[in-house]
Amino acid sequence: MSDHGEASLVPVPGDSIAEVSRIDPRLLEILVCPLTKTTLEYNAATQELVSRAARLAYPIRDGIPIMLPEEARPLDEDVRLG
Amino acid sequence: MTRSHESLVAAQFGAHAQAYVESKDHAQGADLERLAALVAARPPGRVLDLGCGGGHVSFTLAPHAREIVAYDLSPDMLAAVAGVAADRGLRNIVTECGAAEALPFPDESFDVVASRYSAHHWRDLAAGLAGIRRVLKPDGMAIIMDVVSPGEALRDTFLQSVELLRDPTHVRDYAPDEWIRALRAAGLHPMAPVPARLRLHFATWIARSGTPDVQVQAILALQGHMPKPVTDHFAFEPDGTMTVDTMMIEATREAVA
Repeated sequence: MSDHGEASLVPVPGDSIAEVSRIDPRLLEILVCPLTKTTLEYNAATQELVSRAARLAYPIRDGIPIMLPEEARPLDEDVRLG
Repeated sequence: MTRSHESLVAAQFGAHAQAYVESKDHAQGADLERLAALVAARPPGRVLDLGCGGGHVSFTLAPHAREIVAYDLSPDMLAAVAGVAADRGLRNIVTECGAAEALPFPDESFDVVASRYSAHHWRDLAAGLAGIRRVLKPDGMAIIMDVVSPGEALRDTFLQSVELLRDPTHVRDYAPDEWIRALRAAGLHPMAPVPARLRLHFATWIARSGTPDVQVQAILALQGHMPKPVTDHFAFEPDGTMTVDTMMIEATREAVA
């Protein structure tokens, strides 16, 4: 499973090095969604870890991923706006 | 307005993060030495410090691990841990926030899961232990340390009561036999628990948790009304200091031949 995680956690191209460096790359390799255990997409611009399966974006605050569903942003808002 | 148990735990510890980082009750102990020896005997691997609190397990194991994930419900506690790790040059510690019952890690991703003085705050012990088993590699090992109940009902009720008065996010100090049953139910293979005793200096103990005075007075009043089996067992001292039972238990994912 960790192999799949590494594959999907590629920073979005064009992000600044400063933003990308805000989360420890070793952590990205072993993170999955706490609800669905599926892989996450790292959005360096918004500093979020996106779970497509759970439709949640988990925030990264001060370099610490906050993997709590109650702290995550529901992705349905994006769909309506979008 | 109701708040989740998890948010209350995060708030309880966030407000007192530095006290836990600096706590001598937490930073020292024969259990930490035993833990370091157990982990040092294995090839350096990836370690999960589950409910890391002030980070003392992470700091102790850093020289013996390839990588340590310090994991806790409180972002403030994690920020304090990251600060100490940076000060001490412990570059193999990374921090992550989440609940013990919903681990955000892939299956079979850790060589060791260590958890010290955390499980008594978990809302769902069975879910926490099932998660530990899931994230352990097949040859992985879990090491749990916590305050434990003496088991017998009279003393158990006193212990849980003062724990709850001291910190309303307390859930339960389990007895060693409850631990063995719960670990087996989660599909783990526990070894014999190693018992120890921990003296809790009263003023330090309640200051660390920021216990309001009305609850401090209730703890002292309860102590004053307890029968001899309780006063003897917990070795009450005039200032409220008590001595409680602790336990360290190892469990492997696969049965040891």
